[in-house]
This record gives sequence, C-alpha cells and structure tokens, in this order.
Amino acid sequence: MPGLYIHIPFCISKCRYCDFYSLAGNDDLIDRYVSAVVRESEKYDGMSFETLYIGGGTPSLLGARRLARLMEGLHSHLGFDRLVEATIEANPESADGDFLKTVWSMGFNRISVGVQSLDDDELKKSGRVHSSAQALKAIDFAFKCGIDNVSADIIIGLPGQTRESLDNTLRKLGGMALTHISVYCLSIEEGTAFAACPPGYLPDDEFQALMYGYVSGLLKGHGFIHYEISNFALPSKECLHNLNYWRGGEYIGLGPSAASHVDGRRWKNASNLKAYIDDPAIAGFDEDIVDAETRMAEEAMLRLRLLEEGLDIAQLTRRYGFRESTGLEERLKNLAGQKMLVKRGKKYRLAPGSVLTSSRVFVDVIN
Amino acid sequence: MNNIRNFCIIAHIDHGKSTLADRILEITGLIRKASMEQMLDSMDLERERGITIKAKSVRIPYKSAGGQEFILNLIDTPGHVDFNYEVSRSLNACEGAVLLVDASQGVEAQTIANANLALDAGLKIIPVINKIDLPNAMVDDCSLQLYSMLGLHIEDILHVSAKDGTGVLELLEAIVDRIPPPQGSASDPLKCLIFDSFYDAYRGVIPHLRVFTGMLKAGDKIMVKSTEKVFEVEEVGHFSLGLAQAAILSAGDVGYAVALIRDAGEIHVGDTVISADHPEVQAIPGFRMSQPMVYCGVYPIITSDYARLGAALEKFKLNDSSITFEKETSAALGYGYRMGFLGLLHMEIALERLKREYEQDIIATMPSVIYKVVTKNGEIQMLDNPSKFPPEGQIDHIEEPMIRARVIVPTGFVGPCMELAEAKRGSMVGIEHPDDKRATLVYDLPLAEMITDFYDRLKSVSRGYASMDYEMNGYRSADLVKVDILVNNSAVDALSYISPKEGASIRGRALIYKLSKVIPRHQFKIPLQAAIGSQVIARADIFPMRKDVIAKCYGGDITRKRKLLEKQKEGKKKMKMVGFVEVPQEAFLSLMKIEE
Repeated sequence: MPGLYIHIPFCISKCRYCDFYSLAGNDDLIDRYVSAVVRESEKYDGMSFETLYIGGGTPSLLGARRLARLMEGLHSHLGFDRLVEATIEANPESADGDFLKTVWSMGFNRISVGVQSLDDDELKKSGRVHSSAQALKAIDFAFKCGIDNVSADIIIGLPGQTRESLDNTLRKLGGMALTHISVYCLSIEEGTAFAACPPGYLPDDEFQALMYGYVSGLLKGHGFIHYEISNFALPSKECLHNLNYWRGGEYIGLGPSAASHVDGRRWKNASNLKAYIDDPAIAGFDEDIVDAETRMAEEAMLRLRLLEEGLDIAQLTRRYGFRESTGLEERLKNLAGQKMLVKRGKKYRLAPGSVLTSSRVFVDVIN
Repeated sequence: MNNIRNFCIIAHIDHGKSTLADRILEITGLIRKASMEQMLDSMDLERERGITIKAKSVRIPYKSAGGQEFILNLIDTPGHVDFNYEVSRSLNACEGAVLLVDASQGVEAQTIANANLALDAGLKIIPVINKIDLPNAMVDDCSLQLYSMLGLHIEDILHVSAKDGTGVLELLEAIVDRIPPPQGSASDPLKCLIFDSFYDAYRGVIPHLRVFTGMLKAGDKIMVKSTEKVFEVEEVGHFSLGLAQAAILSAGDVGYAVALIRDAGEIHVGDTVISADHPEVQAIPGFRMSQPMVYCGVYPIITSDYARLGAALEKFKLNDSSITFEKETSAALGYGYRMGFLGLLHMEIALERLKREYEQDIIATMPSVIYKVVTKNGEIQMLDNPSKFPPEGQIDHIEEPMIRARVIVPTGFVGPCMELAEAKRGSMVGIEHPDDKRATLVYDLPLAEMITDFYDRLKSVSRGYASMDYEMNGYRSADLVKVDILVNNSAVDALSYISPKEGASIRGRALIYKLSKVIPRHQFKIPLQAAIGSQVIARADIFPMRKDVIAKCYGGDITRKRKLLEKQKEGKKKMKMVGFVEVPQEAFLSLMKIEE
C-alpha cells in the first residue's frame, strides 16, 4: 500500500479562499483528535506504506508533543519500514524551531510551507495570519533543522496582486534553495468567505493566465520541471505522495474528509470532526461505486495532469482488462484532433495551450 | 331534436372563455364548484399560456326556466389566430355562438375575426359583455363597439360576470331561446362533420362528429369522404365530462365514434363522414387539409438520438395531425427533421410539447416561411428552408407570402404602431375609427416579419394595448437575399436566413453580436461572420477562454473532481457540436428576437 494521508482539520483562522475541511478555534479538541486518528489506524493494522503526507488544515498546529504522540501511535499499528517520503505541511505562524526539530527527528524528509505570497498586503486580504517575514523564517528553519527537501505554495490571482508583487514574491523565494514549488491559480469556491463576500481588486482570468505562463517560464529557466498542472520540482524532487494520486495509485486517508483508494474502491470519510472524535468507526464515509470504464477514464484524466509523463493509453487499457480500443481512446483521438492533446509516440499529453483550460479537456476525457 | 342547442363560445384571448365554460358546467350541475378549475383546458401548456389549443366539447343537460329539458352541446374552439381554420370548422358544427367581450378591454382583433367567421358560417350570435364585476368595466363603451364594429344590436347584449356567476342563467335562457335547434332529418343518409379528434393508445383516432343528417350506431360502416376509406364503428357516444357511450347518434347530435382508426392521417378536421352504403352523399363544403405556414428544422442534440426523435414525432403526429415533418439533413447539425406548423404560436407550443411530453433534447432552427423562388430559366421552386436556396446568380426573383393584418389600438398608440408596421415592410391598406378611442389599422405585411418578433414588438410599442389578427394574403415579389452565418470560418447551414436586402447588414451585425454573446468561449478564438454570397457584411470574434482548471487536485479526493467535471459535461450536453464549436440551443433562434 503506497500512500498514507493524514488530515489535520484545525486552523488558527480560516483563509478566505479555502474550501478544505478545517475548523478554526477548536484547539481544545486536538489531543482527543490525535487519539481518534490512532484509533482509526487500527482498522488498517499491519498495512505498510511507502509515502506519508500529513496535510490540512494546519498540521503544524499539532505542535511537537502531539506530533510525536501521533507518530508513535501510528507506528504501533502501521508499517513504515519501506517509507521513502514523509511530508508534513507547515504554516509559517506555527512552524517554530521546536516543531521543525521534532519533524526531522520523527523521520520526515520533506516539508511543504504554506507561503502563498510574500506580499503582506495580499496575505492580509486573503485572511492569512502570518507575515512574509515569518514565511521566509520558517523555510530557513526547515533547512537549518536538516530537512533538505522544502516546498512552498504560492497563489496567482490573490486580491491586490500585481505583476510586480508576484515578481517580488518569486525573487525572494528564488534565494531560498527550494526544491519544489506549487503554483495555484486562485478560484473562488462555493462556501468560502471570498464567495460570500467577493474581494475588490481581484485580478481577472487574463492576468492569471499571463502570470501562469510567466511563472512557468521563469521556474523552468531555473531548472524546475513543470511536472504537473500546478507543480514544479527540481529533477527527482517531485512529490512522490502526490504523484501516486495522479498515477491512479492506492492510498489510505485518515481523518474527517480524508479520501482513500484501494482495490478500485474510492471512499471519503465524513466531514464531521466531532463525530470522528467520538468514534471514527461510526463517523461514516461516502463510497463512490463506478464501473471499470469510468475508473479507467478517471485515471486517464489524472495522468493527463502529469505534463511530462503523460498517458500511455495502450498500457492503461490493458491494465483495466479491456482488449479492444475503448470509447476513451476515441475521445482522446478526437481531443488530439482538436489540438487540445498532443500525441507523441505512445503517449498523450496536454497541449501547452490547454493546460490552463484543462477542465474543458477533461470533460471530454471522462466517461 | 328541437331540444338540442349546439353552440360555441368565441372570444379574444383572456376574455374569460374558460371561466364562463366552467361556470356554465357548474350552474347546470355537471360539475361541483371548484371540483376542477377550468375543466376544458386540460393540457398543462394550455393552462400556462391561458389558451385552448385543442378544441373539446361537452354535453350539458339543462332544464329551462319554463321547465323544458334541453341538451346543450358546448363546442370549445381554439383561441388563436394560428388555428383559424380549426375555429371555422368548430363553428360549422354549431347553430349559434356566444361572443364574449371583456368589459375592461373591449372589442379586440380576435373578437372581430371570430365574429366574422361565425357570421360567415350563418350562426346566431349572442353578444355577451363579461367581467362586469371589474371596477374598470366599461360596459357602455363595449356595447357601442359591438354595435359599431360588428353591427350587433345593443338590446341583444347580455351582461355577465363569469367569475361570480352573475347573468349566467340569463345567458343559458338566451341560448335556448335565441339559438335555433338543429335542422336535418334522421331518416336521410348519414352526413357528419369532423370538427376535432384525439388519439387513444388503445382505441385509435377518435373523431368528434356533428351529425347533420341520418343516424350512427355501433356496427355501421362509415366512409371518410376525402379518402373514401371505410371503417366499422365499434362505439358511439356523447361527451360528458369523459366519453359517455350511447346507443345512437342522430341528426343534430354532437358526439364521438370509435372505429379503430389507427392512423391520425386518416382523420382531418373539416372532412365529412358518411355511410359506406351511400357513397353518393356530398361532402360538406369548405374542407381543406390544414396547411403549414411556418417551418423549422428540428435536430437531436445528440446525433444518435435521431431514431428516437423520429419515433416521438410519429407519436406526436397522432395527437396533433396539423404538424408535418419530413427527414432533413444539415451539414452542420446532421440528421433531423423539417417540421411544419400552422403558425408561430403553434410552433412554440409543439416544440415545447416535444421537449416536455416526449422528452426530446432538441435544437430548433430559425423558423422560415415558404418562399417562391423563380429561377432564371423560369422554374418555380417553393422553398421552406433557406439552405436549399439556389445560388444567387440563378435566381430571377423571389416572392414571399403576405398576410393582411388587422390591428386594433387605442388612438394614442397609432403613431408607434404605424412606424413599427412600416419598419416591418408593411404597406397600409386602410385605417378605420370605429369610435373616438380606438383605431383599426389594416396592413399588408410579409409573413416572415410576423413570425419573427412583430407581435411582441407591437405589444411593446402599444404598452400591451394593441391586439391583432391576420389572414394569409398571397405572395408578393420582394428584394430578398440569403445571409449565411460562418462560425469558425465555416458556413453553418442551419443558421442561414432570408433577409430583405435593405438593412441586411444592420440585421447581420445585430445577429452576429447576439451570437457572440450566446456561444461560450472556447480554447481557441472563434471568428463569427455574416455573409451574402462571398461578401462579408458583419464580423465579430469570440476570444478564447483563458482559464478553466481544477488547480488543486490532491488530498486524494478524486471523486469530487470527477463529479465537478460530470456536472460541467451535463451543461455541455445541452449544446450542439458544430465542427469543433459548441453552440447552445438558443443560438439557433437568436435571429428571432433581435433588438434593432
């Protein structure tokens, strides 16, 4: 079983664009939450994992002591002997030296810092609770603690963002020896603060598209590989845990709202922290039962996100046990005909001009 | 037979015909109050639009003030100009008509059109002013209008409120007193008029009949005069609230006959039914096959639904024999059908029913009239589809169908209405002033203008006060050109239209602008052009979509992402692929409602 994801649904306060499941102001529940996650892991007793990813929410809110307790608890049920990558997300305001040292000592070899921007005005307008100085300091700490694989998230299209401010963010990050950068285009999701109360000075899609192209070119010029729609890495520093998602791999998710994929089944834990703390076994989950053709198309859609690796349709078809060419292959051919996909050798890839409009492509990929 | 009264109610739309029918049924005890709102309009669509599409009838037992028993056959008539011929057939089944006028609205264009049809059919007219309970009722004005516009005597006019029942008993008495009983002998050979029909999945097409002479019962062999097809009658009966089986229908009666008629094409409104034993009996004059006036292409959104659509149209035709359809192919839309309708309203209703009742996802193209195209070698082609037009060089001239429209409007709005009619290429035939408040404008107009937005615009320039009626009025030569629309550099045949040469580029620009708003952005730039032959008269570009991406695709919740895409795909299914461009349904009707 390659991947284990653990969701930490706690935040100091909710960012205005965020639609992930997390709650602010429930710190008193964190201790019991750690126990609940350990209890849920019993269900998978004996399984062993190659990658571990603790995300959120704000995993750094766990603090050193609770992180240690969580890891000890997991070790008593799950196997980590084959672990090659262990990532934890950290937010600048809670990633102190104490926490990062514990992270390193617990065997984590990768850290993902939620930077988003190094412009204090943009951070404030988006509801981030840290400053740009704190973000730089957190990255610096991580390296000093011995973690040499550090990623930063940035967002294109934050309220008030300009080409100059984005350039400034990138220049400062450029001096930090990062191995990985995730670049997201802001989208206003239902149920978020931005959706309820749209910010002024919101850059439009045209700006986002231009900046996306600009950032991609800039990072490539510095030796980064644009390996997924929103992800850039130095050679061999791609996030293995996330690669596994995009390759249709198997994983277990622990915690409310965490998703799992095993034996062709996909399910997702209920997004209910209180019920989960009471008893993870009865908090419930949603299972999505779909036929092989839908699953295959879903994997095709995921693999096409990998801009360099692309999709080998013959291999995929064989793996799902179809002998003849399927409707999926027809659809891919059509998309290539429309120049939205490029076929080179055995592989389909997103055409460069279609990366930022890939939903339109994927709509035709899915069954 | 002396105790039978066959009558109908005729009125302008919304003047209260259905309410009056309900009240009559209630007062005579046939239905209990509020047991069913507006009995006679039972199709959902009819209720939404407040009009009667299919005529229906009901037999009402009535005991008069003098204690005599009567049978009143109320024959419902369709209430819209598209169904003029059907109205005239329904009227022919009656001896009298109740002419209803809304006291707050006065005599309207359809009041006059229907009254004239009734007078032509030799019917006794009972003028009734309805809605006298309204605070803005103008009973005296209405009376004067009925007198001056239709020559009806003021002392004959009844005052009614169908809503609260006032005057309805008096109306019933007038019906038995004034309308003559049917004539004709039951001992003569059978002769009946088909004034309506409906389709029953088990019993086939069931014609509604008015028996003029003779008798009809189960076991009789009947012949449909126009086709000479013979059927054996299985059952006859009257219209109560449902079908009420009876032993016999005889001269003067109104009823139905079940004769296992499988094909709706066998039964046409206006046709005559006689006894197979007396084929020499003459047909009732005035029969004609209903003629479609307006055509449009109907295509399945998903190409593979073509066969399903065909099956639905077959079924639909059983229910509404006035539609026509034949196979058609379009380079842009693939396989589909060319449908014909009696008029624009009929088209709108029929397409809506296809979608709702027959669950078809369809694209309808711009409606077209039938053009008479005379080629240089003297050949005459009747074309209902612009994409079938010969190249411009081969055309000598084009003629288009005309209507004579009668518009009744308060004098204050005469100016704007005349401007509109002239902008729509109308030529004035006359203007009358039946009283000092209203004017009647008579215009000859191209039917093509009528089926775009003339009526809506007329309502808007007159703030809703104008009313209109029209009749077909031959063909007239006109300076017309075919305009092609190019989407992404290829002509979309289904968007071609015929336009007067004058103003073609203004209309072209308006249409292109509108298309640029309804066709969504794609990954590539889409040029839109309107062209006459090779000459481009308008152009606009749809700029490419810049961003449509699920940026953050991890945390492993793949199902949610897939579902988002599936939702997006659902939206896409409502569009038609034309080349590589997704064109939404409304684009095909854009030309109809262009703000000029």
